[in-house]
Amino acid sequence: MIEVHNVSKAYRVNRPRESGWLASVQSLFSRAYEWKTAVSDLSFHIKEGELVGFIGPNGAGKSTTVKMLSGVLTPTSGHILTNGIEPSRDRKRNAMHIGVVFGQRSQLYWDLPMEDTFKLFQRMYRIEPSIFKRNVEFMVELLEMKGFYRTPIRQLSLGQKMRANLAASLLHDPKILYLDEPTIGLDVIAKTNIRRFLKELNAEKKTTVILTTHDMDDIEEVCDRLMMIDAGQIIYDGGLQAFSRQFGGGTLLEVEYRGDDAILEDARIQVVAHSGHNVTYQFDRSDVSLGEAVSLVTKQHNLRDLRLREPELEKTIGMIYTKNKGLREQA
Amino acid sequence: MEYASLYWTFIRINIKAKIEYRAAFLLTFLSRGIVWSTEFALIWVLLYRFESIAGWGQYEIMFLYALNLTSYSMAAFFCFHPFTKLPAKVQSGEFDELLTKPMNPLLYLMSREFTASYFSNVAFGLLFIGICIYHLDLSLGLWDYAFLLVTLIGGMLIQASAFIYTAIPSFWMVRNTSLAQLFLFDFKDFIRYPVSIYPASIQVVLTLIVPYAFINFYPAQYFLNKQDFLLFHPVFQYLTLAVGAVLITGAILLWRWGIKHYHSTGS
Repeated sequence: MIEVHNVSKAYRVNRPRESGWLASVQSLFSRAYEWKTAVSDLSFHIKEGELVGFIGPNGAGKSTTVKMLSGVLTPTSGHILTNGIEPSRDRKRNAMHIGVVFGQRSQLYWDLPMEDTFKLFQRMYRIEPSIFKRNVEFMVELLEMKGFYRTPIRQLSLGQKMRANLAASLLHDPKILYLDEPTIGLDVIAKTNIRRFLKELNAEKKTTVILTTHDMDDIEEVCDRLMMIDAGQIIYDGGLQAFSRQFGGGTLLEVEYRGDDAILEDARIQVVAHSGHNVTYQFDRSDVSLGEAVSLVTKQHNLRDLRLREPELEKTIGMIYTKNKGLREQA
Repeated sequence: MEYASLYWTFIRINIKAKIEYRAAFLLTFLSRGIVWSTEFALIWVLLYRFESIAGWGQYEIMFLYALNLTSYSMAAFFCFHPFTKLPAKVQSGEFDELLTKPMNPLLYLMSREFTASYFSNVAFGLLFIGICIYHLDLSLGLWDYAFLLVTLIGGMLIQASAFIYTAIPSFWMVRNTSLAQLFLFDFKDFIRYPVSIYPASIQVVLTLIVPYAFINFYPAQYFLNKQDFLLFHPVFQYLTLAVGAVLITGAILLWRWGIKHYHSTGS
């Protein structure tokens, strides 16, 4: 469905000039440029019906990647094929097979109800009347838009607008849906609605969904594949559980002892925090089973409390970003 | 042209959205009317004292003004919002959305952002042309009116090209409002008066480099029976449409090249 081979994108940017007015005058006539690489040498495949989430810090190249996939940007080198089409070369033909929602930017007419924009899109995408009718009903039903289907867009809430935008981009049954930060700025209920909708859409129509996000819950609740981009490169590509295992460092066991100095010594179980009676252990469940870890901890000492926690993705990812940034600065 | 009706649909929905605010629509019509009429009257007052500038009389210079205003307004219908707002759209990323639609981006932008309120400008421009024709007692035949239409269309193409050329740098530069200001407004002030009053170098620039003189100065001589061609051949009075066609073709080619090298914004 989507094939990406050795794709790079570089921008030419003005090199920051030295201070002083002489340098400013000089820069009017001759500017120094430098090439800034947004993404370098990306290669991956995405199959039909996959739900893929791109994460990464700001400026990592997530949006650039999605914009190249959707045909907005032309790669500096490498090839992209989506649906057998090279998106930036055959933009119009590609557009018939994709749906796009980029953040909060609205593709709907501000002063008109979504109904009017939908009718316009029906003509733009040349959608058969019967299919159009069926899809509008499907969207209005699933996104619960009956109450504001005929209200001018300017009167809608952020969440309602996002739902209307989603619907507008799906009327023509696109094979691929690109979403750039679809839940940004929405409240918890609106986020949940959108996530549930994406799952149902995928189950019903086999739509391939590619989204970028900063919200790990989007990934957890929607995606079955996670791609992490940092500094223009893919640093992880795979399932969510494998991701936690690889980067999360393992399951956390928080223990509160009755006495002091009751720390367990075992090569497979690390102590990650220790203060007074409270100790936090961490272990990989492929090395030590949960039962064994608990029995080891409880065997010798008297416990007041015991809690089991999975590592928080949010924190894990923050740690990866910081670590990579540190490594880059050293290099 | 198979999509022509589709683009027309976009224009219609725009008019529909405007008419939602009927009072605002009428108010714009009125206020624009007052602005243009004032400017028109101002030329009359100015020329009343001088009687003529470089052999061009009061209503002849008002005719130049009317040709410029009408062709500008015709171009502004499709170009003012699309191209003066392009830098902001590129910055906000709204332009990206445009490129993900199965449409020609240029035509889509122009029909989507069509500004119905320029209807009032066109109406007043035509009214001013009519006033001049009446006062100058020009006896124009059917063919002359047809040529007037051709001239206005040519002028519209020249003005539209100016909009497009000045917008294209925004694909790479964050700010270029000064460029638009210079070419769309400041530079065009030259053609408020007959080009013949300027030194030869400026005449050459206005004819060959930024050919605004074809909007009104050259074609006006056909209607006013003048022979004020200076450095150039009288055939220039017929060339407005050709110049417009060349300029717009160049603008479209440069636009396409621009989109290919478009950078988008970071986010």
